Amino acid sequence: MSALDILLVILRIAFGAFVPLSFVAVLVWMERRGAAFFQDRAGPNRCNVLGFRAGGLIQNAADGIKLAFKEDIVPGHVKHKFYFILAPMLVFITALLCFAVIPFADVLILGDKHYIMQAIPMDIGILWFLAVVGFGVYGIILAGWSSHNKYGVLGGLRAAAQVISYEIPMGLALVSLLAVYGTVNLTEMAQFQGRLLFGFIPMWGFVLQPLGVIIFIVAAFAETNRTPFDLAEGESEIVAGYHVEYSSMKFALFFMGEYVAMFVSSALIVTLYFGSYQIPWFTTETLVTYARPVVIAIMIGLPVIGYFFAEWMKRNNRSHYYRENDPRQKETAVYVALLWSLVAILEVVLLVYLVFAHGGVADRILVALLQIGTFLFKTFLMCFVYVWVRWTLPRFRYDQLQKIGWEKLLPLALLNIFITSAIIVSFG
Amino acid sequence: MITTYLFFGFALLAVLGALGLIIFKHPMNGAMSFVVTLISLAGLYALLSAKLIFAIQLIVYAGAIMSLILFIIMFLNIQEKDLPLDPNRWFYLAGGIVVVAPIAGLLIKISKSLPATEVTVFEDGFGGVKEVGQLLFTQWLLPFEIVSILLLVALVGAVVLAGKRGVN
Repeated sequence: MSALDILLVILRIAFGAFVPLSFVAVLVWMERRGAAFFQDRAGPNRCNVLGFRAGGLIQNAADGIKLAFKEDIVPGHVKHKFYFILAPMLVFITALLCFAVIPFADVLILGDKHYIMQAIPMDIGILWFLAVVGFGVYGIILAGWSSHNKYGVLGGLRAAAQVISYEIPMGLALVSLLAVYGTVNLTEMAQFQGRLLFGFIPMWGFVLQPLGVIIFIVAAFAETNRTPFDLAEGESEIVAGYHVEYSSMKFALFFMGEYVAMFVSSALIVTLYFGSYQIPWFTTETLVTYARPVVIAIMIGLPVIGYFFAEWMKRNNRSHYYRENDPRQKETAVYVALLWSLVAILEVVLLVYLVFAHGGVADRILVALLQIGTFLFKTFLMCFVYVWVRWTLPRFRYDQLQKIGWEKLLPLALLNIFITSAIIVSFG
Repeated sequence: MITTYLFFGFALLAVLGALGLIIFKHPMNGAMSFVVTLISLAGLYALLSAKLIFAIQLIVYAGAIMSLILFIIMFLNIQEKDLPLDPNRWFYLAGGIVVVAPIAGLLIKISKSLPATEVTVFEDGFGGVKEVGQLLFTQWLLPFEIVSILLLVALVGAVVLAGKRGVN
C-alpha cells in the first residue's frame, strides 16, 4: 500500500463517519426551521454566541451541551442493565454503518489506480443495507423490553412490527429495481444512471421505476419511524415509546440515530432513484474532458449566487420593528462579509487550478469534489422532503399503518415486479 | 495472516454464542447469544469469500428470523418464573456429552487425517451475487424451484393454521 492508498482509505472512512454526524446538526436545524415555517411561527431565534445566532444553528449547540451535562440515570427497576445500555448504541451504530456502502462520487482514477468512493469498498451494496437495517430493529426491541415499562414495551412492539412489515414492500420494490439495473452494486447503479433515455432524458431510477420509487419512499419513511409512521413514539398516546426511560446521552444516541437514519435513507433514495452523484447530462468523462469550461462557468456563477444569497439574508435577517442600531443588521453584515470572503477564497482556489494545475489528476479530483457536492445537495433536498412530510401529514392509526403496508404496498410492489420484468423481457 | 486471526476470533465467538444459547436460563440472553453465533458464522462465510451467503446469513438469519424471535420473547414477556422447573438438566447434559463424545472424537480424527494442502485463491468473482445467481438459475434451476415450492407449501400451511383459530 502506498501512502496515497492509505490517505484515500482514511479520507473515505472519515467521510463515511463524519458526514452523517455533521448532517445530524443540519437536520435538527432543518426540522426546527421547517416546523416553524409550516406552522407560521419564528422557530429557534434566541440562542446566540455574542449576538450571532447562525439562523438558529446555535440552538443545536445549546441542546448538545444540555444533553451531555444531564444526569445519566439508569432506573432502579431495570433488570437487564447490559441490554438497556446496549440498545441505544445498536440503534446509532447500525444507522451509521448503513452509510458505509453508499457511493458519494464516481470511481476516482488517479494514474493507473481506481478508488471506489465508498467508506467500505464492497460490491454487495444494497444487500449490506438490508442486513444492517435489520439489526437496527434489535436496538428498538431491546430498548423497549429492557426498560420494563408499559409504554416502553408498547412502543417497542409497535416499532418492531412496523419495521418488519415494511421491510417486505421495500425489498420487493428493490427487486424490480435490481432487475432494471442488473446489479446489486451501488456504484454500478449510480454509473447506470448517468446514461440517457431516448438521448435526452437522464436515466434516473424514478424515470424507469415510477411506481417503485413511491413504494420505496413510503417504506423508507416507515423504516426510519418518521411521521406519519411515528406511532412507535406517539407522544400523545404512549409518551415517548421505547425511549421513555432514557435520559442524557443515552437518549441523545436515540435522537441522533433517528436523524442519521433519516440522512442515510435519503442518501439511499437519492442513490437508487435520483441519479446519485450524477449531474444530469454531464457524465464523469464529459466533466473531465471539459473541466476548464466547467470551472470558468462555476467562477462566473459563484458571485451571482453569492449576491442573491447576501440580498436574501439582508432582507430577512433584520428586526421586524424599529430598533436603535439594529443588532440583527450588524449580525447580517458579518455574515455577508463571511460569505463574500468564502466566495473570494473559492475563486482564488479555482483560479490557481486554472492557471497551474489543470489536466490529469487535478481534473479527476475536481470532478470528484463536484460530484460529492451534487450528492450532498440532492440528499439535503431529500431530507427536506422528510421534514416536509412530517409537518404536513398527521400520524396514522395502527390498523391503518398495517393495512397500507400489507394490503396496498405489497400487491403494488408485486404488480411492479411483473410489469418491470415483462418490459425487460420484451424490450431489454 | 490477518485472516487466520479473524478466523479464530469468529470461530471462538461462534462457539461461545452457542454455549450461551444452551447455558443461559433467561430466553432473551439465549436469543442474544444465538445472534452472536449467527453473526460470527456470517464472518466465517465472508472469510471464505462467499459474499452472497454472507449477506443472506445476515439478512435472513441474523436479521429477520432472530428479530422475529426477539419480538415474540418481548411480546409474551417471558420471565424466569414462567419457565418450567428442570431439576434434571445437568444429568441430561452429562448424558448428552457421553453420547456425543465418540462422534466428536471421530470428527477430530477426520480433521487430523486431512491432507495439508496449500490454500488456493479462487478466481475473481467467486461467491459473488452474479456468479451464484448464474449457477443457481442455469445448472440448479430444478432443485431451486422444488425448494421454493416446499417453502410455499409451508407458508400456505402456516396461513391456513393461523386462519382457523381466527374464525373460531
